[in-house]
Amino acid sequence: MNRKVQKGLLVMVACAVLVISAIFAFVIHTEYSELFKGFLYGAIGVGLFVITGKILSLIQREGKQDD
Amino acid sequence: MIEFDIPPFLIYFLGAALVPLLGKGKVRRIFLVALAVFGLVCLALIRPQTGWVLPIFSGLELTLLQADRLSLIMGYIFALAGGGAIIYGISTIKEAGQYVCGLLYLGSALGAVFAGDFFTLFIFCEIMSFSSLGLIWYERTKRSINAGMRYILYHIFAGCAILAGILIHYTSSGGSITVGPIEPGIGYFLLLLGIGVNAAFIPLHTWVPDAYPKATIGGTIFLSIFTTKTGIYMLARTFSGVEAVAYMGGVMCLYGVIFAILQNDVRKLLSYHIVSQLGYMVAGVGIAGVGMGVIGLDSAGTLVEKLAFDGAIAHLFNNLLFKTTLFMCMGAVIYRTGKNNLTDMGGLARKMPVTAITCVIAALSISGVIGFNGYVSKGMVIHAAELKEMHVLALALMLGSVGTLISFIKLTYFAFFSKNEEIEAKEAPLPMLVPMCVTAFLCIVIGLYPKLLYWILPFRDAAFHYHAFEFGHTLGTVELVLMTVFLFFMLGYFVPHEKITLDFDYLYRKAGRGFIWFCENPLAHFAIGVERGVLRIAGSFVSFSRNPLRGTRMMADMIGVAVLKPFVFVYNLVIQPVYRHYERDLEEVKMRPVEEPVESMSIGTGLLLVLLFFALYLIAMLVHGWLSP
Repeated sequence: MNRKVQKGLLVMVACAVLVISAIFAFVIHTEYSELFKGFLYGAIGVGLFVITGKILSLIQREGKQDD
Repeated sequence: MIEFDIPPFLIYFLGAALVPLLGKGKVRRIFLVALAVFGLVCLALIRPQTGWVLPIFSGLELTLLQADRLSLIMGYIFALAGGGAIIYGISTIKEAGQYVCGLLYLGSALGAVFAGDFFTLFIFCEIMSFSSLGLIWYERTKRSINAGMRYILYHIFAGCAILAGILIHYTSSGGSITVGPIEPGIGYFLLLLGIGVNAAFIPLHTWVPDAYPKATIGGTIFLSIFTTKTGIYMLARTFSGVEAVAYMGGVMCLYGVIFAILQNDVRKLLSYHIVSQLGYMVAGVGIAGVGMGVIGLDSAGTLVEKLAFDGAIAHLFNNLLFKTTLFMCMGAVIYRTGKNNLTDMGGLARKMPVTAITCVIAALSISGVIGFNGYVSKGMVIHAAELKEMHVLALALMLGSVGTLISFIKLTYFAFFSKNEEIEAKEAPLPMLVPMCVTAFLCIVIGLYPKLLYWILPFRDAAFHYHAFEFGHTLGTVELVLMTVFLFFMLGYFVPHEKITLDFDYLYRKAGRGFIWFCENPLAHFAIGVERGVLRIAGSFVSFSRNPLRGTRMMADMIGVAVLKPFVFVYNLVIQPVYRHYERDLEEVKMRPVEEPVESMSIGTGLLLVLLFFALYLIAMLVHGWLSP
């Protein structure tokens, strides 16, 4: 994956996180909050694992799984 | 009604003794299947009781059979999953020694969960550690031997900590060795540390992803069942209701799943998921009430605490079903393809359809999808956390579910459904398929009718109060699954790659190498110096005893030498070099001829010197007051 695509992807992820946060903030203040909880947790969870994956890629090394 | 009152470990220990005598053919296969079924039937016939008390010496008795509802449910699932592992191994395990290790491991795990006192529990835990080591070393590669060494080092450390904790508790409590909560202090900390290693607390978890993927295919199935679950059992008995333990569960859940997502080796991915799933059990035990694991389970507690305890044990039960199925499926894939990494797999769904279907069922179960057993037990723990107002913990456990789903979409998709025309494989042999189909079937049965599980849980009444299919929970889970699946395929971020993710063991290995260097260099030199000194002192004593008069004179001389030595040192260092310098200089000057040319000065310089002397003279006169009136 080249740098441009990576940057684009990061921007998309950042936008998605922002939109999800906004929806989350909106939904938890409505009487229907319980009905959308699953979507929100799903989105937050995936976002969290993408971000932690990016951070942990800093301590990853090339090579096969070995000692 | 028939009752069975013999400690169940004896069945498997006897089986381990007989296996080497049966050769490698049909007789051994029939014996192993019969042993797996017989063991399970005997377990089902045990009723709550105390028996087989062996007096060791006055005041100390070992209780080999103490059955209550908690040990019984542990026994059922160990016998079921262990029986599955025995049958699964028929195709892959050739050496009788490997079966001996597996059966000793299974038997000692049952011995641990039916132990009525701490000492018996400790003895069986040690047998577990050493018998399981055999399952790693039977792989006979350099990697497996090294991993086995690290594994046993961890477990020796844990064993020492547990034994020290038990001994401190034994002495401070006036001889009480009943398995149960202990008073805070050093013993409490040591016992928690030892159990923490077995239950894979962060950062003591690294032996799981290190050793499990390097064991034999059949050995990995045995390994995935017993050690960590016995750790949870011990934790439930001794540390239920400790809030820090509950939050450790949350950390384990997230940490394990984050690292699982990044793995390429399928068995390493599953091993990290062991850590993650243990997190739910640890959290449940921590949320439960204090002393709920006391043998007999007669302690009081709120409904929420009982639900949390039940949730932990229910998840342990379910986890053994789906995790064993997953390890069996991946073992079958490795057995047929010879490949361990997701990057080398793909397209196996057509070639190994039964394995693919059972793997998908187990993946849905572990991910907590509705209709599968993981949905029920995870829900119990998360619900208990919410009711106890531990919202951060509930959030961590919920996010852990999302991570689990991501990594199992990754596992099943890239192993079975992604495109790979080159891979060659055929369906797994029947002895492998039968146990994985049985455990996968049980995942669905319990998922659809959870009351079957509630019936055998420690606090049955509390479990029956829990409504797994409550509308809000069901809807939330459906949404969570849909969103996660959608984002997984839309982002395309979680593609496997051949990279190594460094974990805490990297630091431990660095520290270990540093420790070895310290032992080999400064410590060894120090030891040699001490040895020489001791030998010298011993020699002087021997000499003194042989001839005291000579010895006394020697001592006086030694004192004289010791007193004068600093002066000699100063003399050698300072006085002698200065003396030699002057001596050399004198010799040199003497050698010069008398009529050597004298250096002449200019008139100006001479005048300046005269003026300088005159000025000095005037100053001296002034000082003495000769010029004053």
